[in-house]
This record gives sequence, C-alpha cells and structure tokens, in this order.
Amino acid sequence: MTPPKDSRSSRLSKNNKKNRQDDPFELWLKRGLHQLFDEVAREPVPEELLRLIEDDRKIRK
Amino acid sequence: MTSNFHDQVVTILPRLRVQALALTRNRTMAEDLVQDAVCNALAAQESFIPGTNFSAWMHRILRNRFISDLRKRRETTDIEDVPAAALATSASHEDRLALKDLAEALDRLPEDQREALIMVVIHGMSYEALAEATSCAVGTAKSRVFRARRQLEAWMTGDVPAGAALQARVARVKGILAERGVAGARVAGQGATELRP
Repeated sequence: MTPPKDSRSSRLSKNNKKNRQDDPFELWLKRGLHQLFDEVAREPVPEELLRLIEDDRKIRK
Repeated sequence: MTSNFHDQVVTILPRLRVQALALTRNRTMAEDLVQDAVCNALAAQESFIPGTNFSAWMHRILRNRFISDLRKRRETTDIEDVPAAALATSASHEDRLALKDLAEALDRLPEDQREALIMVVIHGMSYEALAEATSCAVGTAKSRVFRARRQLEAWMTGDVPAGAALQARVARVKGILAERGVAGARVAGQGATELRP
C-alpha cells in the first residue's frame, strides 16, 4: 500500500536535509567563506568613521 | 532614540563591511561604501521607525548606495585585494590555493548572488531577513543563494567544460573534499546555515 503523500514528502524532506548537511562541498564552501570574510568582520572600525558617528550623536542630543 | 540609533549604527559596522566587500570585492571601495552608507543613514535617521528592523534598513541603504555608485562608474574588481588576509593563514598550501580559487570564483558570480550567499553564510541571515535587506521576495532571496551555491559547485568541482587551469583547480578541491570526507566536514559545519532552499 502506498503511504499517504504527506508522510512520504516529509520523509524525503528529512532525507534531503540530512544529505545536504553531510554534503562535503557545502560544508567546505561555508568554511571557505568564513575564512575569507570573518577576518574582515573582525578588523577594527576606522577611527574616522567612529568619529563621524559620535559627532552626529553629539549634534542630535 | 537618537543615542540608541547611533549605538545600532556602530554595532552593525562589521556586518556592513562584509556586505560592502561582497558587493565591491575591493577593500578600498568597500571602506568608502560603508562610510557613504553611514553618512546616508545619519542624514536619513528621522525616517527610521524605532522598533522596525534596523539591520534590514541599514543593509538596504548600503545596497542602494552601491547601486547608485555603480550607475556613476562601471564596476571594477580587484581580486588580488580581497582574500589577502585570509590567505595569509596557517592553512596548508593546498588549502590556500583552494581558498584563492574560491575567492576568484566568487568574483565571477553576479553581485546579487554573491551578496546573498555571503549574508546568509557569514551573517547567518535568514532568507526572510535577506529578502527584507535586499528588497526582494523571499523566493528570490532563496533562489539567489541556491544559484550561487550551485554555480560555485559547478566551477569548483568541474561540472563545466574545463581548461587546464580549471582542471587543476577541480583536482585540488576534489582532493581536499576526498581527504576530509563527511566526518571532517561535519565538524566544520557545526552551526552553519543551510544553503539550499
């Protein structure tokens, strides 16, 4: 007997998700992107930019 | 509200820098773009409604500024500029080469796909938040991320006709993937965002 469509799609969806999580390329890609961009996000904010924001804060007080 | 607004601007700066770099692929242009976007945001702060999504509002301002600048000057890229810091890591020679290949492949992606992929992966942004930040439908946001990922996989693993350079790149990435296998990849993927819709 064929199982109801909903339960089949739910099972397929779970399998797909597991397959994706185990996909070495997907995981390699994520790690590579983090290596390329995490350092950029951690760099200190330029003083000039911070000063610009703080000057505007003072003006608006 | 004013003080809170400025605090939010300062807090979001690292994320703006990543978005700007994803769009421009050039460090100098990215820094300029962040500064210009912050100036625009400060000038338009009265139009921000407290309690609404500040992150999406700010990312939209940066994106609009980028598009506006792009209309004024044709896009330029400087692929040597971007991955320099990342490539100067303690990673193995093969890893560094693969990372450089990835950086070059990113450069070849359409900017909306590159931006979407990076905001989802690096910022852990949901598709809904990405859609709001880039003024598009959720389905479009999902599609951009999916197409970016699929295109990179095609380029990096050789699902396209290959010249000698590409064949070498494919061999490198395949070698790394084979070495690591699923077990190693699981560790790397902890907490990672799903890239496919």
